[in-house]
Amino acid sequence: MADKRKYVIPGDVITSGPFRPEQNVVLEGNNIISTSVGISEIYEDSVKVIPLTGKYIPKINDLVIGKVISHTSLSWELDVNSCYVGFLPAQDVFGRDFSTHADELSSKLKTGDLVAARIANFDRTRDPLITISDRDLGKIDDGILVKISPSKVPRLIGKKGSMIQMIEMGTNAAITIGQNGWVVISCETEEGLSKAKKAVEMVNEKAHIANLTDLIKEMLDGKDES
Amino acid sequence: MGGRDATMVLLDENGIRCDGRKIDEPRRIMIKAGGLKNADGSAYIEFGDNKILVGVFGPRDVHPKHMSNTDTGILRVRYHMEPFSVGERKRPAPSRREIEISKVIKEALEPAVMLEKFPRTAVDVFIEVLQADGGTRCAALTAASVALADAGIPMRDMVAAIASGKVADTIILDVNNEEDQAGQADMPIGYMPSMKKITLLQLDGVLTPEEYKKCVDVGVKGCEVVYELQKKALHDKYFGNRGD
Amino acid sequence: MTSVSVIDELKRAQILELLEQGKRVDGRALDEPRKICIEIDAIPKANGSARVYLGDTQVLCGVKIQPDKPFPDVGDKGMFMCTAELLPLSHPTVETGPPQAPVIELARVVDRGIRESHMVDVSDLVIEKDKSVVGVFADVVAIDYDGNLFDACSYAATAALLTSKTPTWEMVDDQPSVVEGADKPLPITTIPVSVTMGKIGNYIVVDPNGDEWESMDSRITITTDSDGNIVALQKGGSDGFTQEEINQCGDLSIKVGAKIREQLKSSKQEGQ
Repeated sequence: MADKRKYVIPGDVITSGPFRPEQNVVLEGNNIISTSVGISEIYEDSVKVIPLTGKYIPKINDLVIGKVISHTSLSWELDVNSCYVGFLPAQDVFGRDFSTHADELSSKLKTGDLVAARIANFDRTRDPLITISDRDLGKIDDGILVKISPSKVPRLIGKKGSMIQMIEMGTNAAITIGQNGWVVISCETEEGLSKAKKAVEMVNEKAHIANLTDLIKEMLDGKDES
Repeated sequence: MGGRDATMVLLDENGIRCDGRKIDEPRRIMIKAGGLKNADGSAYIEFGDNKILVGVFGPRDVHPKHMSNTDTGILRVRYHMEPFSVGERKRPAPSRREIEISKVIKEALEPAVMLEKFPRTAVDVFIEVLQADGGTRCAALTAASVALADAGIPMRDMVAAIASGKVADTIILDVNNEEDQAGQADMPIGYMPSMKKITLLQLDGVLTPEEYKKCVDVGVKGCEVVYELQKKALHDKYFGNRGD
Repeated sequence: MTSVSVIDELKRAQILELLEQGKRVDGRALDEPRKICIEIDAIPKANGSARVYLGDTQVLCGVKIQPDKPFPDVGDKGMFMCTAELLPLSHPTVETGPPQAPVIELARVVDRGIRESHMVDVSDLVIEKDKSVVGVFADVVAIDYDGNLFDACSYAATAALLTSKTPTWEMVDDQPSVVEGADKPLPITTIPVSVTMGKIGNYIVVDPNGDEWESMDSRITITTDSDGNIVALQKGGSDGFTQEEINQCGDLSIKVGAKIREQLKSSKQEGQ
């Protein structure tokens, strides 16, 4: 359980003493200092800061939405909204018997296509390795793409998925949330689609407001006036 | 009483400066975090009549590739003045002064930003001076720190800046345009308030050894005042009205 | 946006689908421009200035007026120059360095739209014939990009020029010298308004936003003056227009331009 949450900016001293510095903090002498704008959390033996801004840094096993930006005869390059470009090898899609003669990459995925994908491997010396070979992954044929700040993704999911479930049930939309801040919404009705999009954008803009859940519920219940 | 221009009164007998300020009084400062839709981070500052906008992109891919560093991300800074920002219209192409200031600001930010975590990438800081009135590099550096924090670039500290100086044999805080032109010394200072390190320091003018130490001291204390406004700007944007 | 970028096929398909129903993604009608916000005197130390928001596109124009030497064979006319620059902080794809062809085109189109309308009466900007004239520089910078810089820059320059104050100069000892207390507006003869239309598939949309700009096949910018005449025109992009479409665009530019002219006029009232 976290103790004493505090709003911090870079350079703020969170605490001092024998704590292990975790995400977005650094040890300077005896002080634990925040390196980000965010909320600090002090645990029994460690300190971290939850950032409220910043780009997406790939993490192994993260579900992300990616966009194909190019391909060679052996792999695709994906924009995953990070400073590092995702690398999707042909074998991941065509299988181990992949052959550059028989199998043409653009037949499966072409430039501009969106995919639901997972980060298979990543360390900062190499570009993130992407996979789409699970059942819930693959090319996205249908739906609109909404971009939010990656730091707002936990808020959009909510405690045990409560926020995203509320939005899906209130609109009948299917929403796929990428940890990289890219969100795909599909819905049979235009009204549902538009409300779901609005709800996602509200979370992005008002994540720090205490009664955000109530505001969104109100909007979802209200008649569509547009 | 003055400096190089004997006709301008820079400090009157009541200790009031040419724009009505006291010797340790900075001009009106306003800082806003965010504001641009496309930049990853941004900030806007008004420092007296200076109006400066900063946009940050990054960490992002480096082009051309040979400029990237395999061990750490790189910081790039461009300080640029609009043609309409100064008295006589300035041509759009970068001047030598702008190039030097870009470098000085970059070196003032480097001790603060932590780019070892982002090898092979770059963080770009674009500073646009919309209206200039003395002390633009300090205002620019101040806003750049806020824009970097707004972009989520990890930093071990903020960097705040202000210029101290000397007019009429008196050490003053926050040199304006007239004081810069006609005064006796102008010392821009950039300072990291938590780590207590000076990362930008230049001097134009003549100071005795005692005046020099006093000038640095006045400048550092001025930076601490500027830092409170940087903090307020970030608190206003991210922590709403609940900031503590 | 000024360079070839990956066209988001999914996005373009969605835009076309809506256009087939007569709708646009942001709810506008096909011939409807975005909301235009004009803030004059954004840069008080300049002779005139205006910040324009066209949706999320934001540009700023500062006007500097100062004495200058006339062009060699045009000693009885003042100087007018309008530039436009795309600032690197406006969009992640903007590079630093000397301007490339798309930005040069932008600057020249904005300049021509205002110059060809004779908005600023340069024959009324002479201090001493053949020796000293008034130079008017309208410099526009793009601060945030979401499509259609042509119109945003044009409105900013027009609003800034409309609300500029110029000193009066007289020759003293063969040098131009400011006459104290004799500031006045620039000699303005007309209010040019540019309207840019994009062609996506077979549809013409007025004031394309960022997504529409990326998806369009070609575009046309038409500038009209206060008399409803067409004074400047530029077609861009890699596809073509039918003659019918060109005529349709001409009509649209007059109709849409007239409304925007009213808004520019009222910004002038605010400035006084």
